Amino acid sequence: MSIVALAAEGGAYETPGVADFWQPLIGSGAFAITRASIVILLSVALLSWLLLAGTKKLTVVPSKGQFATESAYGLVRNGLGRDIIGSHDFLKFVPLLFTMFVLILLNNLFSVIPVVQFPTMSRIGFPAALAFVVFAVYHAVGFRKHGFVGYFKSIIPAGLSIGLMIPIFLLELITDLFTRPVTLALRLFGNMFAGHLLLVLFIGGGEYLLLHGAGGLKIAGVGALGMGFVMTVFEILVQVLQAYIFTLLAALYIAGAVADEH
Amino acid sequence: MSKGPRSPRPRSGDVPRSTREADQAWRAFAYLLSGPLLYGGAGWLLDHWLGTSFLLPLGIVGGMALSVYLIWFRYGSR
Repeated sequence: MSIVALAAEGGAYETPGVADFWQPLIGSGAFAITRASIVILLSVALLSWLLLAGTKKLTVVPSKGQFATESAYGLVRNGLGRDIIGSHDFLKFVPLLFTMFVLILLNNLFSVIPVVQFPTMSRIGFPAALAFVVFAVYHAVGFRKHGFVGYFKSIIPAGLSIGLMIPIFLLELITDLFTRPVTLALRLFGNMFAGHLLLVLFIGGGEYLLLHGAGGLKIAGVGALGMGFVMTVFEILVQVLQAYIFTLLAALYIAGAVADEH
Repeated sequence: MSKGPRSPRPRSGDVPRSTREADQAWRAFAYLLSGPLLYGGAGWLLDHWLGTSFLLPLGIVGGMALSVYLIWFRYGSR
């Protein structure tokens, strides 16, 4: 049975698309309170509660909550902060890195947590805002370390021939001012957007096939739902990985700015 | 972290070698995007103003070449 005939039989199947990500709950237009706004507020409330509860009664032999909190903090502090920025000046960046890591991680995981089921970072505004914070921090750090002119001077590699200085300087400038922050935001956005779309397609499509399909299509529906389960597990991996990579790159950019030379 | 004559770029603190390599990999990727983007964009603008059509491909290829040269110069030649 063709898709057209299938559509004629039951309610038409709507292919998931960009429209699935724009879900205003209160109001409309640019200032609407959307599902993503609610989800990020929920994540902040939940994180505050989890972290406060995890660090409330600190004991030498940690409870489960304290152990989980300390493990996550240790991963960011040592694995991303100290090892990348260097033991000399990493400590002041740890709060920023840790906040970013847990915020992105929880918001990504919300994509597969029942009822919530929406990845905040699939709306470009959220990763863009986070990338802008990283952008502002690493340039501010660079200016403070090298001085305004010195910072721009520091991005040209030493020993370059005179004729290539201007084209290479422009290239370095665009890399630092444009490419790195933009790819930082787009990487997170793209992964969350595509991943969620994939889940909506497999699970929504599978459900449709199962309920409205005839004969063999019902079996295909079961297959699609099975695939949806596999992709859900895969997505959890991607969600954790993307939170880690975003924080890793933020740390790398800051490390580049505090380094003596680029 | 080895600081022989072949690695003359000192970093503050005790940044391990693996971190520098990760940084270089991500940076090389950013260069490869920036070169064609910047010089291809410049070529496109010039094409637009001058009414020509050869500067956009020239800019993209030239920008790519410059990116590759910069990666080689920064990370391969010393």
